[in-house]
Amino acid sequence: MLLAVEDLHVHFISRSLRNRLRTARALNGVSFRCEAGEILGIVGETGAGKSLTAHAAMGLLRPPARLIGGSIRFAGRELASLPDAERRALRGREMAIVVQNAKSSLDALCRIGDQLIRLYRAHRGGGEAAARARALEVMAAVGIPDPERRMRAWPHELSGGMAQRVLIALALINEPKLLIADEPTTGLDVTVQAQILDLIVGLARERGMGVILITHDLGVVAHYCDRIAVMFAGRVVETGPVRAVFGAPAHPYTRALIGATPERLTIGRGTRQAGPPPPNLYALPEGCHYRDRCPVAGPECAAPPADRDLGAGHLAACWHAGAETSAAKLLQSRDGSA
Amino acid sequence: MTLGLFLLRRLVMILPMALFIVFCTFMLVRISGQDPIHLLTGPTASAAEIALVRSELGLDQPIWAQFGLYLLKLLRGDLGNSWITGDPVLGDVLACAPATLELMIWGVLLGALIGIPAGLGSATRPGGTFDQVTRTLSLLGFSIPTYWLGLVMMFVFFYLLGWAPPGIGRIGMMHSPPPTVTGSYLIDALLAAEWGVAHSAFGQLVLPVVCVTIIAAAPIIKQTRAIAIEVRASDAVRYAVASGLPLATERRIVLRNSATPLLTFIATEFTGLVGTTSLIEYVFAWGGLGQYGLTAITSGDFTAVQGYVLAIALFAALVLLVTDLIVIVIEPRASLRP
Repeated sequence: MLLAVEDLHVHFISRSLRNRLRTARALNGVSFRCEAGEILGIVGETGAGKSLTAHAAMGLLRPPARLIGGSIRFAGRELASLPDAERRALRGREMAIVVQNAKSSLDALCRIGDQLIRLYRAHRGGGEAAARARALEVMAAVGIPDPERRMRAWPHELSGGMAQRVLIALALINEPKLLIADEPTTGLDVTVQAQILDLIVGLARERGMGVILITHDLGVVAHYCDRIAVMFAGRVVETGPVRAVFGAPAHPYTRALIGATPERLTIGRGTRQAGPPPPNLYALPEGCHYRDRCPVAGPECAAPPADRDLGAGHLAACWHAGAETSAAKLLQSRDGSA
Repeated sequence: MTLGLFLLRRLVMILPMALFIVFCTFMLVRISGQDPIHLLTGPTASAAEIALVRSELGLDQPIWAQFGLYLLKLLRGDLGNSWITGDPVLGDVLACAPATLELMIWGVLLGALIGIPAGLGSATRPGGTFDQVTRTLSLLGFSIPTYWLGLVMMFVFFYLLGWAPPGIGRIGMMHSPPPTVTGSYLIDALLAAEWGVAHSAFGQLVLPVVCVTIIAAAPIIKQTRAIAIEVRASDAVRYAVASGLPLATERRIVLRNSATPLLTFIATEFTGLVGTTSLIEYVFAWGGLGQYGLTAITSGDFTAVQGYVLAIALFAALVLLVTDLIVIVIEPRASLRP
């Protein structure tokens, strides 16, 4: 097991103007696993806690975010109990992250090539020449045209898409065992997007790199991922092999998500209302957090649902999972044929 | 745009500013209600004598004619003569300036050497013990009245403890100033290898420089802290942490990204310190430009006041120009467009 996250709880703790403690329960028991060589897609609406999960896994939480409980094991080591220096040595070397905000994440006062070389040498040591050669190699691999010239560019001279590729190059330069990619292809046109995702998938297959791909794009998940984890209100509500989840989505939220993808909207069937507001993390309802939006909610949903095993690693946190509803059947038949 | 053109533009832009300042000072001293004539002629002067002095100084002319005359002289590089001593103001200003510069440069330099590390240290753990202590000390530096600080220093270190020499100027009474090279007695004495003089000049410098350092360091600590906290929260530094760069590298990135706003702040503070320094000069009988200006204002020496204000305005413009040039060198995003 490369990365195993168990029952992760993260709260945002702040003080109101009246000096009362306010707690936003951002992650409420997130659990998932990612094997070496496996590509896990994490999907969910904005505010569901996808990026926060990624940051927590990397050990990058900052106040007011606080790790309340849970375990993050990377290659058998419990990260929370690891000394700071060892975590630092892991980050960027064994586990790398591609963050959002590519342009502002680059060091504005350091040339692109120097940033790549700096990162390589910080983790691997070695001479300037070897680092430079590796930087050129990885820049070419992520599809940066004319790497020699781009090495001398300043971050502010890059387009958004180019900065995104530089960030991916930075993440891949040390050949990490685990890559967490937080919407790595936003801002890239479709051909470049495919090129980069193919590269990442290739590395996963050839070198056994584990990949966690956070995205809004269910099409990307269907095409590139082995397994999917659907997040809602700081919890993984459904997870399983991509084929199984898309074929028979068991959680009503997953069904809503699949129903809301653009190609279905254009077909005109299965359309859903535009997203209702996400739940208030300061006052989450007892029981199932999706209850207020759920079309099939009943009195039993006032108690928190446990994960139901639907076989072959397909889990769903819903009281109704497994009980075939008409909506599920409809979607199942459509997705099965797609 | 080339550097030469940039400099030319900036220098040309100083001209209207200088003209405006000359106009304001000229009119302000004349509408201040002060009539220095009686100070100049003495209490026993007859009406005829007063009229004579008035016409000698050109005060019987209309105010616009006086101003025109002053401007014409200014264009020839003549700041006029002091009404009290009869000496050329330009010569006085040039003679006094090195003393003030010596005090300010040492003060701001030491203030920055203390303030920047203290501020950076505060910013690593805002709210921590180090931060609390530094902030209290900084607040103390903010709130101490300048002249009071000078007097207390002299009282404690000269009168009570006898560690410091009396505050009677830039050099002890037993020594004569070294040959002028830089204008700083300490450096000139060292250059001329007059060790006794250097020792005396150093001793005289200590107390007033410590005063300026305290006054200068307080806002530098506060600004450095604020800037560094902001830089540490920026995407670029967060990404540096996420990629596991060593702590030293991370600190260097924070410092480097704080450099431009810090430098700009210190430059503005430097120009603003002229006023504060004049009070310290007064207490220590330093004989610098600030003391010259204060004396001129209190004695109604109009031409001296005008020369003093113009000199300080040009000094401020020069400091800001030099700052902009440094920023252009260290900041890849800066352009030569003013």
